[in-house]
Amino acid sequence: MAAPLVLVVLAAVTVRAALYRSSLAVFIAERVEVASPLNAWKRVVEGLALLDLGVSPYSGAIFHETPLIIYLFHFLIEYAELVFMITDVLTAVALYLAIQDFNKVVFKKQKLLIELDKYAPDVAELIQTPMEMHYIPLKVALFYLLNPYTVMSCVAKSTCAINNSVIAFFILATIKGSAFLSAVFLALATYQSLYPLTLFAPALLYLLQRQFIPIKLKSKSFWLYTMQYASLYLCSLVVIICLSFFLLNSWDFIPSVYGFILSVPDLTPNIGLFWYFFAEMFEHFSLFFVCVFQINVFFYTIPLAIKLKEHPVFFMFVQLAIISIFKSYPTVGDVALYMAFLPVWSHLYRFLRNIFILSCVLIFCSFLFPVLWHLWIYAGSANSNFYYAITLTFNIGQILLISDYFYAFLRREYYLTHGLHLTRQDGTEAMLVLK
Amino acid sequence: FQDQAEQFFRSGHTNNWAVLVCTSRFWFNYRHVANTLSVYRSVKRLGIPDSHIVLMLADDMACNPRNPKPATVFSHKNMELNVYGDDVEVDYRSYEVTVENFLRVLTGRIPPSTPRSKRLLSDDRSNILIYMTGHGGNGFLKFQDSEEITNVELADAFEQMWQKRRYNELLFIIDTCQGASMYERFYSPNIMALASSQVGEDSLSHQPDLGIGVHLMDRYTFYVLEFLEEIHPASQTNMNDLFQVCPKSLCVSTPGHRTDLFQRDPQKVLITDFFGSVRKVEITTETVSLDRDVAGFESKFPEEELAPEPLKYAEQLPVAQIIHQKPKQKDWHPPGGFILGLWALIIMVFFKTYGIKHMKHVF
Repeated sequence: MAAPLVLVVLAAVTVRAALYRSSLAVFIAERVEVASPLNAWKRVVEGLALLDLGVSPYSGAIFHETPLIIYLFHFLIEYAELVFMITDVLTAVALYLAIQDFNKVVFKKQKLLIELDKYAPDVAELIQTPMEMHYIPLKVALFYLLNPYTVMSCVAKSTCAINNSVIAFFILATIKGSAFLSAVFLALATYQSLYPLTLFAPALLYLLQRQFIPIKLKSKSFWLYTMQYASLYLCSLVVIICLSFFLLNSWDFIPSVYGFILSVPDLTPNIGLFWYFFAEMFEHFSLFFVCVFQINVFFYTIPLAIKLKEHPVFFMFVQLAIISIFKSYPTVGDVALYMAFLPVWSHLYRFLRNIFILSCVLIFCSFLFPVLWHLWIYAGSANSNFYYAITLTFNIGQILLISDYFYAFLRREYYLTHGLHLTRQDGTEAMLVLK
Repeated sequence: FQDQAEQFFRSGHTNNWAVLVCTSRFWFNYRHVANTLSVYRSVKRLGIPDSHIVLMLADDMACNPRNPKPATVFSHKNMELNVYGDDVEVDYRSYEVTVENFLRVLTGRIPPSTPRSKRLLSDDRSNILIYMTGHGGNGFLKFQDSEEITNVELADAFEQMWQKRRYNELLFIIDTCQGASMYERFYSPNIMALASSQVGEDSLSHQPDLGIGVHLMDRYTFYVLEFLEEIHPASQTNMNDLFQVCPKSLCVSTPGHRTDLFQRDPQKVLITDFFGSVRKVEITTETVSLDRDVAGFESKFPEEELAPEPLKYAEQLPVAQIIHQKPKQKDWHPPGGFILGLWALIIMVFFKTYGIKHMKHVF
């Protein structure tokens, strides 16, 4: 499987290199859907230039990257294009290896459940076979590397690529089962942008499952393991933050990065939901609504953990999607990361209800973004409502996509245990709905 | 005869300018346009040519589709006085009347492509009349229903004019509600200001005309116009008479004025010093010797303020120094402790994951 992967990687690198040399690079780099105030390349360059002039890059609200990014790019700024291409390749390889391992886990679990007779007798067509799953890792790498969103994000040199690669390494470490590495990468991911904190729950659930520790609140081993993992995570986070302090000898980065992410002061339009609301809100309500919006990101973790505790990787996928929809400054790079996982759930295709309309919505909205931006900003014949309408539609499309996959997943699980032909009490055919 | 020649130097101005601004648009603000046009008419009649008048009207009333008498703007009911006439030259019209354009006209910071008719080309011997009308409040004047100019901005603009020697003396008349607030903040010398109402009072309009359907003029400007109709280029009426125009009984609001910044006594200031452009021409066959004492005013600018010799532009910047400067070699390096700590952590994680047995391969 290495050779097709290498081919895919080569194709992706060629596409990116070609785009770097073309005139589209400048155009793409300026697009607000691709570069947000948190991860625009212009701001990284500005921050490093400020540092060269002897001024802290966090003075003034331009630079919102973490000190480790400063360190990374201080030496690599001339090779920025190479760095981003290598980052994308690393992400794809990490996802490839992770999904390969995950497939093995799925098989083992399936085999166990079949032997334990947990499945209904007529669900043979629902069970995944090695044949159909053979190409899934390659498809995942392909989906990530050749996704137009990823390509645009890479050409724009948005540091979202680095965030994605850290999350991909975290997923690889979790699926391989190494709690230490997983905690370290999760700490790095949380340090980069605050929201991967919510990925703690699925990672913990997966590792518990791997250690065969039952998830009961009264079980001592559960709490012991949770405490171990949590302390690993928190210690690494604290160590990384303290290390960042020593880069510039100041704690300036904390309000600049985390304060910025949480309090959303910059209302540049992007593909998220925050900017329009806060642009037209009265001052005395803004604190309340900022809290509401931020809680919305973290809120779905516990209910999803309760529902999906047997399926932590799917939980991770849904959680990633929720982060990239509801975070304060989303970009298409975040969308690309969770879309890379869609081939893993391709066996759910027969249960997806709205896939055609949702894919149409997502594709059309992606094309309409630049059109309505041009109409609003340059032609002056539209206004922000038009652009926000497309943002809303895009996010609704994403949310419906995730809930569709959620429904399909749960439906398949139900069918697996209860058989494909469900009958009601009076014998007529029953239909599963997601309440 | 020497005394008569002395009269020539009573005021220090040699030319007159007028900036007349109407800041409101829409048909029901007819009276503001009529106000401005009446002052325009008087000022032109008394001798200021169109080239020295900057007329800013925010809306077109004469050709407004709601005007039952097109091409006219009346200032008196019964349509007695058409102030529009057939030789009105509007310099800034309609949406060009903005706070920015007004301030640019005053301060002279105008793009090079602006035509002469839109510029205030005054110098330090110009007497400028600035008349503003519209809707205002305490400390601001509304332009075009979408922006405002504050009294502080106006005062700063006048100070810029003073520092750039763009006026000799300035008469500022404002006819809006709470107009006196607009001249409260002036701090530049040689400014005299009149307003139609004090802070907290509204300026009221005069009479509606039932034929046209709107109020034709504001009370203050109506009485000022009546007053000005009696002035002719040679009249000796002075500013104190202008201050008495429109007492409270006629105007309902209390007009105010401010003369503390003005160096001459208002009694000695002629109306035509500001409202007209009076050429003092006398033909004589005698020769008159004029010495410096004839001038009845002190030099306005104390000697210390003038630079001993003017700086040539090129010498003001040390260009040679700047272009031959080497770029500063300040480069930031991450501190050693950080690099050490980071790599130590990375190596620790590596060995924790892959086991200590790889150590012997490294060393």
